[in-house]
Amino acid sequence: MSDQSAGPATPATTEISRRRFIQGTGLVGVSAFLAACGTSGTGSATPTPAASGEATAAPSGEPTDAAPQSPSAELNFANWPLYIDTDDEDETKHKTLEDFTAKYGTVVSYSEVINDNEEFFGTIRPALQGGQDTGWDLVVLTDWMAARLIRLGWVETFDLANMPNKEANLQDVYKGVDFDPTDDHHAPWQSGMTGLGYDSAVTGDLTSLEALWTDDPRWTGKVTFLTEMRDTIGLTLLKLGKDPSQAAEADADEAVAEIQTALDAGIIRAFTGNEYAEDLVSGNVVLAMAWSGDVIAKQAEKESLVWQLPDEGAMLWTDNMLIPKGAQHKYTAELFIDFVYDPVIAAQIAAWVNYVTPVKGAKEALAAEDPELAESPLIFPSDEVLANVKIFKSLTEEEETYFNDQFSAVTGN
Amino acid sequence: MGARRWIVRLTPYLLLAPGMLWLLVFYVYPSFQMFISSFWSGTLETGFTFSLDNWTTYTDALSRYEPQFLRSLVYGGAATIVCFLIAYPLAYTIAFRGGRYKNLLLFLVIAPFFTSFLLRTQSWKIILGDDGILFGPLKDLGFLPPEFRVLATPAAVVAGIAYNFLPFMTLPIYVSLEKIDVRLVEAAKDLYAGPWRPGGTLAGGALGAIVGAVLAGALTYPILPLALGGALLGVVVGTFFVSESFLRVVLPLSLPGVFAGSLLTFIPAMGDFVNAELLGGSPQTRMIGNVIQSRFLDNNDYPTAAALSFILMAAILAMVAIYARLLGTRELTSAR
Repeated sequence: MSDQSAGPATPATTEISRRRFIQGTGLVGVSAFLAACGTSGTGSATPTPAASGEATAAPSGEPTDAAPQSPSAELNFANWPLYIDTDDEDETKHKTLEDFTAKYGTVVSYSEVINDNEEFFGTIRPALQGGQDTGWDLVVLTDWMAARLIRLGWVETFDLANMPNKEANLQDVYKGVDFDPTDDHHAPWQSGMTGLGYDSAVTGDLTSLEALWTDDPRWTGKVTFLTEMRDTIGLTLLKLGKDPSQAAEADADEAVAEIQTALDAGIIRAFTGNEYAEDLVSGNVVLAMAWSGDVIAKQAEKESLVWQLPDEGAMLWTDNMLIPKGAQHKYTAELFIDFVYDPVIAAQIAAWVNYVTPVKGAKEALAAEDPELAESPLIFPSDEVLANVKIFKSLTEEEETYFNDQFSAVTGN
Repeated sequence: MGARRWIVRLTPYLLLAPGMLWLLVFYVYPSFQMFISSFWSGTLETGFTFSLDNWTTYTDALSRYEPQFLRSLVYGGAATIVCFLIAYPLAYTIAFRGGRYKNLLLFLVIAPFFTSFLLRTQSWKIILGDDGILFGPLKDLGFLPPEFRVLATPAAVVAGIAYNFLPFMTLPIYVSLEKIDVRLVEAAKDLYAGPWRPGGTLAGGALGAIVGAVLAGALTYPILPLALGGALLGVVVGTFFVSESFLRVVLPLSLPGVFAGSLLTFIPAMGDFVNAELLGGSPQTRMIGNVIQSRFLDNNDYPTAAALSFILMAAILAMVAIYARLLGTRELTSAR
């Protein structure tokens, strides 16, 4: 363990996980706003890629060069903070990226610039809308946002011939999603589950979502729901016995009314981003709608914390790698995607980030390094678990507006 | 000769230029952009289009977010009152009783500013924690019921705002008190200004009861206990701490400081969103700043966010104008 870098992240580094709650109080707001105002001509907030010697990007996908392609000198990769294996001593070093460089000679320019799906979308939209290169070759976005980009035709289609690992090792549960039935526009990076998080020392063992609606002196006023609409509405629908993957507008009304009853009863203390994890440790919150990776990370500080897959089911969300339309290094990006679908590499990433890996064989690869971690049901959920999780329906734009408006009304946004 | 006259004539403009340019680039231009965007319609996905017909965004935003506007007004007002109640005695003590520790005390007032705003607010969360260092022991001893909490209630948000803006109230009051010539107080005493009794007792009690009741009513707490507590405090202060010389000399001379301090506190307090985010989080404590923030960043609803910002700006301007009329800015602005 001492000379292997496969140990789980230390709590100190995992504390601020990828969903940072203050989404940039000042600058980010301004830049998102400016990006929204900017015309397609300006480069907006995204960095322009170095004018590398590589051939001009084929504007409409499919570069049908007869000559064999070779990896480019660089690759511009935008990801969320703390979402790839990182050296304990040097935060700028990532073994996975170094391994990629060793294999293909490509230097990966890795930027942890994505803190929020909508905000990042705001920065790349002007370029995509103007048919220009965003400056990124690879971006990681949550499935509903991936769905939106695919719907808008703003991502490149993968050349699956370049991706034998991905073809072979993608877990079946991820295949054939409604926003990409052919699986050639997105590749899952990591997943996480949204379920019940609680302090078992206070609440005892809980298994049902009913608890979130039960007025009990042990937790009334110490319960939090999430500000992420799909998580909170999704779990509420599961509690109501409905299927979030088939959610209709009438379901949104019903879910919101249900959430309102818990609010009126004084059970809900607050709607939060990932601050709930800190509050679970300090005892301000004892029961919460919680993300699996957060709770695992916090168990190091408080052993009595439990993440539970509710009887009614849990929500599964996935962050996906996408190649934005017009990316300069599409072929190299495909090589990279395929590279992280190598079980050994996938295990290396999963061991550090504590989220669910979509790669078959990663568990076995990790078992060789760290057998205990490989048994974690939250990093490698069993088939029964995966059978009980739901992915929120990918909404059309009108549906999304409707759901967001209804949810805003109950959270006071 | 001619050139020199020109320079003399231009000097004021040259001196103004950097400031004007700064405001033009970083205030006027963004405001104008924001004003334009408040008349947009559309979504981030499809792009936005401008039309004057979209003025309805303003009325829609106002009616939809009226509770949050009112709440911001109430929280901002309550925090300003709390700040005043804490800052005035503090500034008074430093100005008149500080002696050789004056500079040190002033430094201590500003010292928290060396730490980040977020960090300071976060530490309030630790202090006010349900089983934190303050309430934990009190609950263990049975003084408070186990379900008692302050976090995620209006009191926590107002306390956080008051704490964060306290120096903005303290410093202007201190400056105006510091300028007062103590010989004026001595003269008042020579002219038989003594303790203010029973007037001070009555006025203090009445004022304390009113402030307590208003704060309790505004923040939806039981009115009677807070009004009684306020009255009691007012009686003590009015009877023992307020003299006629203070009432007739010191207080009137310090009003410009109070005026400046309340504006510096109230205006940012009303637009604040960090305290409501970190110490509140409940839908019942959300302020208009939170709405604007989430409309901008989470929902990409730029038109509504921009319209809300302008409504907030207009509301604050109107209130400040009324306040200035009532208290009179002429004293403030005209050299005496």
